[in-house]
Amino acid sequence: MTLAAVAFVLSMSSCSSSDDEPEVAVADQVVGSYTGTEVLTVMGEADESTETFEFTKTSDVSVDVTLPKYGEGMMTVPALPVKGIMLTKSGNTITGKLAQYEGTVKSADGSEKAYTVSDIIVIFSDKTVVVTFTQKYGNMPFAFEGQFTGTKK
Amino acid sequence: MVADIIKHFLLTGVALSVPVIGLSAQTSFRDSVDLEPVVVTASLSPKALKDAPVVTRLITLHDIKIADATNIQDMLTQEIPGLEFGFAMAQETSLNMSGFGGNAVLFLVDGERMAGETMDNVDYNRMNLDNVGRIEIVKGASSALYGSNAVGGVINIISKENLEPWTANFNSRYNSFGHEWRNGASFSFNTKKWNSQTSFQHTKIDPVDLPKAHSPEEIAIELMKKAQGLPYDESVLTDDSNLSRLYGQKTYNIKERLIWRATDKLTLTGRGGYFFRTSERDTYDYHFNGYSAGLKGRYVWNHDRHLELSYAYDQYDKANFLPDGTRTHDHDYSNQQHVAHALFGQSFGRNNLILGVDYMHDYLTTYQFIDNTSHSQDNIDGYAQFDWNITERLNIVGSVRYDYFSASSQKALTQRLAVVYKFPWMTFRANYASGFRAPTLKEMYMHFDMGNMGYMILGNPDLKPEKSNNINVAIERTNRIRNSGFLDGRYNFTLMGYCNIFDKRITTIDGGLYEGMESALYWNEDGITVWGVDVCLGHIWDCGVSFRLNYSWMHETGNVYYSDFYQPRSHSMTWRIGYDHRFSRHYALDAALSGRSQGKPQSGRSDVDQGYTIWRLMLQHHLWRGIHLNTAIDNLFNYKPKSYYYCSPLTTGTSFSIGLSVDFD
Repeated sequence: MTLAAVAFVLSMSSCSSSDDEPEVAVADQVVGSYTGTEVLTVMGEADESTETFEFTKTSDVSVDVTLPKYGEGMMTVPALPVKGIMLTKSGNTITGKLAQYEGTVKSADGSEKAYTVSDIIVIFSDKTVVVTFTQKYGNMPFAFEGQFTGTKK
Repeated sequence: MVADIIKHFLLTGVALSVPVIGLSAQTSFRDSVDLEPVVVTASLSPKALKDAPVVTRLITLHDIKIADATNIQDMLTQEIPGLEFGFAMAQETSLNMSGFGGNAVLFLVDGERMAGETMDNVDYNRMNLDNVGRIEIVKGASSALYGSNAVGGVINIISKENLEPWTANFNSRYNSFGHEWRNGASFSFNTKKWNSQTSFQHTKIDPVDLPKAHSPEEIAIELMKKAQGLPYDESVLTDDSNLSRLYGQKTYNIKERLIWRATDKLTLTGRGGYFFRTSERDTYDYHFNGYSAGLKGRYVWNHDRHLELSYAYDQYDKANFLPDGTRTHDHDYSNQQHVAHALFGQSFGRNNLILGVDYMHDYLTTYQFIDNTSHSQDNIDGYAQFDWNITERLNIVGSVRYDYFSASSQKALTQRLAVVYKFPWMTFRANYASGFRAPTLKEMYMHFDMGNMGYMILGNPDLKPEKSNNINVAIERTNRIRNSGFLDGRYNFTLMGYCNIFDKRITTIDGGLYEGMESALYWNEDGITVWGVDVCLGHIWDCGVSFRLNYSWMHETGNVYYSDFYQPRSHSMTWRIGYDHRFSRHYALDAALSGRSQGKPQSGRSDVDQGYTIWRLMLQHHLWRGIHLNTAIDNLFNYKPKSYYYCSPLTTGTSFSIGLSVDFD
């Protein structure tokens, strides 16, 4: 009886050809470049621009992203890498969260500046991604609230 | 009897350290009616509140105690309609009083200026209320007596006068908002020759994360719906908040004042103080240090003649420190002021003449100047005031003052003429005064890359002083109702209308490109005209119930500039319903239900706070032998701003506080 049961299970497994394919890691499903609209709001004032967010895989369940630079000339916030966004999948939606990431980056004048990115939420659905975050750079006494909506190239 | 003692004390010169400002009409109602308190700010000499030449708002010791406020900011917010504290850049506190910013309202502590002005405002945390006896507020210009900055008003914080042989007080209070702790102690002694007063206060408040209307997840989900063309809620995606977190801070404040009555004619007063505040920011900790010292001598020849000579020093420093305690030296700031005064008073019967000269040396070094260099300037002034009591009913006070500022080579001549006429049924006051504010060293010499972002703020050495001309007219009636049953008690009513014409306002304009960077430049712009009406009415019933309502209406015309940092509001109001009763030898209760309401901003802007009403319930239990238990519920009806703007009330909903104060004497 036991042997029969085992044989049934094995036969069912072998019959399911689609289940035989290993699940693609969630990180692999979302990595790539997304281009769209970024809205940065500081002290209640919003600024909109077209940007590209690049997601790279760090593990099967986590990605890195680089927030694009903002501003011009000396008045520039350089591109800010954010590492280790953990991903979870539910249905067709993959969600990434990171409470806070702290790093340093070289500024336009060559000096090293500290920055913090917090409350990072990423949602991937089909070829679309949305990102929300709060970033604080250098000595700036205020934070930028960011929203990005983009589609995969 | 008590009133007589206080009045005598104040009028006969022990109150040396009490400079002057007078607010006569609107007052802490109970004390103004019952004690006929003396004020000094409006006329540079002690006068009964009812006789002060200019409408003076008096916040009494009782008001201060029932408000249980920690600093001047908490106190004024509860008492003065049309006055709001908000935030400036870097989350430093800024003031708006009836259309005027912090640099147009002169704050004095016992008549002395304070150094500071990091963001056009002094550090209001320095003005703790542990040892304050009263606060006098004169709205409108007062430069003819006080010089620069007295454009929109003067607020004079006056120390307590302890007459007991000795007193001691220990107090502690916890407030649930930011888990704030305030601990204080004071000690005083009084002998025939000596009077000493020492106070210490420590406060600590944790950071407060201001709630957002929607979580980041909710925003992201709505954003995704929008991207996919599905129905979504636009309001979730819009958040105009300027602030997301209130930084925590600690303060330490210690003060000493010593009076030596050397002879019957000569009194010397020495004082000193130290203040420290640290504010915990994301990247650095901000450290602020304040040092103050002063010496004053008063010689009284006789009842008619006296001379005061004084010297005051005040220093305010700021620096940034890394979390490991290392000073960064990239935000060093130090403002130092040396001030010398001479004031001569002579009476001619019922009339009084005051002559005075002042010298001030103002020094500022800051990271906002090129290469952290320093600048200084000297201010010399002379003034005269004649208080002419023509009849028992008619009083005219005229003042004139001349100021010279060395750095800008600017001169200012200011005047004031105040007329008081006492009808049998009311008092009428009319007042004209001019005011000015000299450009500060920062406004003249600033050369600052804001936040190292390539946006320059540039000073302008050619700036002219701001000027104001203020006219106000007021009527006041105070009376007692007897044998009318329910209404038996005393009442007070004051109605004041004013117009303040403010010109050559110093602000920043677009400075074009400067060395390839965008810039803002300090500049004199056309000014504004502020019209307003203040109403104060109150009633104290004989049964112990009291009621007071302050209403303020104001309207700005002209070159009105609506900053993100403050929004003038046309309508504002404060009120308090009080009850005090001694139930037994060992228990008395002071209860107060108070509130403040701010109307919509005059600008009509919808992206700033749209007005609010906040109520407060305070119960003060006076227990056995000097033990006082204070309990309060703030924001009683749990008002929560939808977004946190610079001018929003700093509340996240209902909070409570409990405190214990123990007096020994």
